[in-house]
Amino acid sequence: MSAINNNCQYISKKQVKITFDGKTYQAYEGDTIASALLRNNIRLVGRSFKYHRPRGIYTCGIEEPNALVQIISEHNEPNTRATIKRVYDGMEIASQNRWPSLKYDFGAINNILSPIFSAGFYYKTFMGPKGFWKNLYEPLIRHSAGLGKPPKNFRSKSTHQYHNNDVVIIGAGLSGLAAAKKFINTKYKVLLIEQDSYLGGVLKNSNKVKTINGLTPQEWISETEELILNSKNITVLKNTLVTTYNFTNHLIALEDKFAGKKIDLNKSELTLHKIRTSNTIIANGHIERFISFRNNDLPGVMLASSFEKYIHRYGVVPEKEPIIFTNNSSSLSLLKKLISLGCKPKAYVDSRKKDNIETEIKKILRDSDISFFTDAEIEGCDGNKKVETITIRQGKSFTKLKSSMLCVSGGYNPDIHLFTQSKGLVKWDKNILSFKPDTPFQKTITLGSTSGNYSFKKLCDEINEKLSIFKTKKVSLDINLNVPNKFSIKELWETKKKNNSNWAKSFIDLHNDVTTKDLKQAITEGFDRIEHLKRYTTNSMGTDQGKISSINSLAIVSKMLKKEISEVGTTTYRPPYAPLSFAAIAGRSTYEFYDPERKTSIHSWHLKNNAVFEDVGQWKRPWYFKASENETMHQAVQRESKMLRENAGILDGSTLGKIEIKGRDALEFMNLMYTNAFTKMKPMTSRYAMMLGEDGMIKDDGIICKISDQHFIATTTSSGAPKVLADMEEYLQTEWPHLQVYLNSITEQFSTFNISGPKTREIMMKVFPDIDFSNDAFPFMTFKNFDYKETKIRIMRASFTGELGYEIYIPPKIGLELWEEIFSCGKEYNLIPYGTETMHLLRAEKGYIVIGQETDGTVTPIDLNYNWMIGKNKKDFIGKRSLSRPDTSREDRKQLVGISPINKKDIIEEGQHIVELNELPKKITNPIKYLGHVSSGYHSPNLNHSIGLAMIRGGKNLLGQKFFVTATGKTKNIPVEIVNPVFIDPENKRLTS
Amino acid sequence: MILIKCPYCGERDQSEFENGGEAHVIRPKNPESLSDKDWGEYVFYRNNPKGIFYERWVHSHGCKKWFNAVRNTSTDQILKVYKVNEKRPDLSEFQNTLKSPSGEPSVGSGNFAVKK
Ligand SMILES: [Zn+2]
Repeated sequence: MSAINNNCQYISKKQVKITFDGKTYQAYEGDTIASALLRNNIRLVGRSFKYHRPRGIYTCGIEEPNALVQIISEHNEPNTRATIKRVYDGMEIASQNRWPSLKYDFGAINNILSPIFSAGFYYKTFMGPKGFWKNLYEPLIRHSAGLGKPPKNFRSKSTHQYHNNDVVIIGAGLSGLAAAKKFINTKYKVLLIEQDSYLGGVLKNSNKVKTINGLTPQEWISETEELILNSKNITVLKNTLVTTYNFTNHLIALEDKFAGKKIDLNKSELTLHKIRTSNTIIANGHIERFISFRNNDLPGVMLASSFEKYIHRYGVVPEKEPIIFTNNSSSLSLLKKLISLGCKPKAYVDSRKKDNIETEIKKILRDSDISFFTDAEIEGCDGNKKVETITIRQGKSFTKLKSSMLCVSGGYNPDIHLFTQSKGLVKWDKNILSFKPDTPFQKTITLGSTSGNYSFKKLCDEINEKLSIFKTKKVSLDINLNVPNKFSIKELWETKKKNNSNWAKSFIDLHNDVTTKDLKQAITEGFDRIEHLKRYTTNSMGTDQGKISSINSLAIVSKMLKKEISEVGTTTYRPPYAPLSFAAIAGRSTYEFYDPERKTSIHSWHLKNNAVFEDVGQWKRPWYFKASENETMHQAVQRESKMLRENAGILDGSTLGKIEIKGRDALEFMNLMYTNAFTKMKPMTSRYAMMLGEDGMIKDDGIICKISDQHFIATTTSSGAPKVLADMEEYLQTEWPHLQVYLNSITEQFSTFNISGPKTREIMMKVFPDIDFSNDAFPFMTFKNFDYKETKIRIMRASFTGELGYEIYIPPKIGLELWEEIFSCGKEYNLIPYGTETMHLLRAEKGYIVIGQETDGTVTPIDLNYNWMIGKNKKDFIGKRSLSRPDTSREDRKQLVGISPINKKDIIEEGQHIVELNELPKKITNPIKYLGHVSSGYHSPNLNHSIGLAMIRGGKNLLGQKFFVTATGKTKNIPVEIVNPVFIDPENKRLTS
Repeated sequence: MILIKCPYCGERDQSEFENGGEAHVIRPKNPESLSDKDWGEYVFYRNNPKGIFYERWVHSHGCKKWFNAVRNTSTDQILKVYKVNEKRPDLSEFQNTLKSPSGEPSVGSGNFAVKK
């Protein structure tokens, strides 16, 4: 057994070196990994998915079920089809799914144990005991079953490109090129997409066509390609695979920019084309299918047209004396080609009756003296990790022949994947024994063998007729053939085994190791619907989607069920047509480009001062500031909280959402959107306000500044701002279009600082010596505008900590300058910066809620004891009516309370349950009564014990009562007392003086 | 991914839009005068037919305008778009492609890939 080279124009003479599993091999530029390995007589390239059986190269294209490899030199790219991937000098390749080596694979024991690995094996075997799946079975299965190893690092490697076209032609074979020719120099904007690096399809892959319009196929391709390239309205994409056909003629195609070249890490390897088109022409041909027989997976078994393609397209004859096994008329071209190269097939096995076989085939076989078996089939083949002997059955007699390769043709399937993705309907064609496109759902045209037309002679008429909807000239094709024009086929899906042994395997899905026996077993067990059967057996669920085998399995199943194939139906073909990596889909949306990071104008200062950041929406907010290298978060937060209540602290609140509301009807609008009443509110004052959903539940909160009846500024939570603005817009546009109100997001127009603590007034007076900060001149919840260094700033007296506090709004351009000025003035008062965690602790001490922490979409303002915020005299506002719904006004709803541990050393954890039991039973037999949960829990450095806010059923009436809080990993619960949620300064003296 | 024709901007990719549920559900003028049941109907209940559906869309990554559309929910074809202040088009304007009582359209639904 040895391969020979054939002269081939698509393969250069330039030699390149590649390594496969560490060994170096010579290949030619233009080779695929598969053609290079075949050239070097490598047949064994991988181990199968489940049984770890030795596997070789089965096909010569995208349909490959076996030859998946890992490209070590390309970031460990796994599951690469060796039949597609081009080689280059220095490429490093490794086989997959074997350990310790391809030849001696430990997992091959699965093959010996195979009788137990039948359909539904995983479902049946790994049922229990509890916990075994997660801890034992799954890791075990994941280790031993599978494909390649994922790359260790993610690298951005693709760009996206958008197209808008009148016509997209998928496939530049004979039909695609002829169709494109019709559009030359027309008004249509056309995109012609070819998966290979050369145009021509069947013309360059086989010997089937002798001449077109008097030219050799190659001359015709060159002539046509030149005309197309010179036509300004047609764009050609090579090395591009259409993977997806979506709704509204939306196509996704992936272009390999480095096919056959070493990847340049500075350039994008892939382009993902996103295409919208008015019309789609699918002309991507057909896929040959296999036949199931005993050991039809041994390395050396290959599809006949793939074998032919290796000769034509890659200039390698994998074996001089193969045996050809066919059930149809098309294998003649392979036979002719081999003979013309001086090779003599060992035998030609045709399952058709002698009378039905074309005279030309019979004549050639007779003339060349080749063993000819008619009405015969391959019983099976045998050998050690490769085909060595092949058994032919003819009637009752068996003939055993020696050959290292068996070329198989079980007929052809129109490549209907894209057509069915587009939701077109298919129908069964008895003449070609396959499904072909029938009713399109979108503007889709199929041409040539994709449409089920296997007659080259009829192609010209088909193209002219189907493309007559376009204003184009007629195209003429005068085709001379090397094969019979009339396609003839005999139904044959599986051959009979000589002996029935549990170990004899006849595969229906090579990729997922599904045997014909598995199909039978699944049907016996009741999985007789094709979609169920597919999932139960995993048939055609591999990365090849059963391209060479799925129709075979439908046929076998229909025979078992004694139904017509059209009754059994097909399974759903889903995108993508072939796997595409997440990196291709991600494009440039990776890392920081995936989700933009928003930083405040003070960010650089935070970095310099050892801030640890927290993500709030897209914002980076200081979480806490590390005073020293070894300070823990807990220590930092305790320190910051204590310092602020003793002296003063400052928080960068720039991330707070800010929305400007302006217009004639601004007051009316605000009265409708928020619970509060704004009518009597004085200009230049502010108010804490809440926004509800129409169901009465709290959506967002913030401080509303009233400048006048026609002008408000609303602040929102940091992450809620876009939603609040969108909701306001929605109501303005859809419910109240008569209101004249304009909304504007001004979040990024201001840097915002929240400064608070007992020393705040002194610091503010020092920073702004011209401003009167006395309590009378500048009372709580008022704001004023001031001139500051050629700009204006707004200062509001407000606080989220419970201490005296001010909020400063300043244009971000000079934000950092003012921030630093405040620090230099605040130094003598021990001013500290603090982060969001300290903010949360301080507000919890004060009993202030946080949206999303105390609230969860089921909490009303009444549940929080915030009745004072509800404008009861207002006729209407969003959610008002729902507050009086019976369920919303229930007395035993979960309500906000404070909790304090009775033993002051106990720690209250956030998220724990509140129960009546002081200890949980060892074995829980009855459900334990749940009263509520801890929504916030902190150690208060100012009270020197743990505190909590909790949502408890009927909590308002439980003040002073004793309950218990559960604790992580303990059955003993923590006794707590229900208290007022305001732990610090309940009289608000600090806020208002 | 379908194409949606914004009445203000023209045809754009679906990813630029957000769906706003059933259209022509008007917020009651006097919520207080409604019974709990009627108010509950307004807040919580929406139609979800298979077939012709009047629904709201917003061009959120574009002009941010709300508009209405008529969509066949079984085929995802958008049959008409119109502005919020325009009249609701009559159902008789649209051909309902639903044939069987189970609602499967003649072509293009889920697993019914083989022509019967
Ligand atoms: Zn728009």
